Amino acid sequence: MTRFKSFFMDCTEANHCCDKAQYDEASFIEKIKIHLHNLFCRPCNKYTDDNKKLSELVKKANLKTCTEEEKKAWKAKIDSEATK
Amino acid sequence: MATNKIDPTRWVDRYSDYLFNYTIVRVNDRELANDIISETFLAGLKSMKNFKGEATERTWLISILKRKIIDYYRRINSKKGRAEVRINYNSEDNEGDWLEEQAPDRFDMNAEDQMENEELGLAILACMENLNEKQARIFTMKTVEGIDTETICNEYNITPSNLWVIIHRARLTLAECLKNNWF
Repeated sequence: MTRFKSFFMDCTEANHCCDKAQYDEASFIEKIKIHLHNLFCRPCNKYTDDNKKLSELVKKANLKTCTEEEKKAWKAKIDSEATK
Repeated sequence: MATNKIDPTRWVDRYSDYLFNYTIVRVNDRELANDIISETFLAGLKSMKNFKGEATERTWLISILKRKIIDYYRRINSKKGRAEVRINYNSEDNEGDWLEEQAPDRFDMNAEDQMENEELGLAILACMENLNEKQARIFTMKTVEGIDTETICNEYNITPSNLWVIIHRARLTLAECLKNNWF
C-alpha cells in the first residue's frame, strides 16, 4: 500500500490525513487530496472505508472509561490486599 | 491445557474499562459500579489459586463480576419489603415540572439496539487488548475521551507525528480485529 504513488500524496501521507480526518483535524485541502489519491489507489480507498467504519462503531458503542483516580483507588486496594 | 497466566498487577490497566462498561449498563450507577468492580478485584485476589488457566484472565474476572452483580440484586431484592413506593402524580402545584418518570422512551432506539451497542462496546474493548498498553491508552484518550493532540503529546512526551503513528497502528489493529469479530 505504501509503495503506491499517485499524484499529490503518497499512501503514507494519505493514510495519515485519513486518520486526522477521523478526528476532524484534517484541513480542507488535505481532505481534497485524500479524495484525489483514493480515486487512483484502491488499498487507500479501502483503508478510508475501514477507518470511517471504525469511527462510526466507536461512536455507536458509546464507550465509558474509568478515571485515573478510580484506577488509582483500585490499584491501591489490590496492592494493600496482596501484601496482607 | 492451562495456558493463561494470572497477574493482578495488570488487572486495572488491562481490564478496568471492560469491567466498567460491562457493569455500568447493568447497574446504571457509577459509584455502585466502582464498588462492584472493587469487590470483584478483591474476590479475584482471594481466589487466585483456583484459576486454572483454561480461560483468559478477563473471562475469569467477568465470571466473578457476574456473581457480584447477581449478589447486588439479591441484596436489594431482600430489602424489597421495606421499600417505600412513591408515585408522582401531576397536580396543579407541580404543573410545568418535568417528571422524569413521564418522559417517553426514546423512539429511535429500542432494547435490542442498546444490547447490540453494549456488545459492540465490549467487542471493541476486547480488541483493544491486542494493543500494547501505551497504544491502548493513547487511542482511548484521543478517540473515546476526545482529548486534544497537544495534551496527549505533553502527557506522554511525544511529538504529534509519533502520536499519529501510534493512532494509525492502533486503528489498523482494531479494524482488523473487528473485521474478524464484528463487521
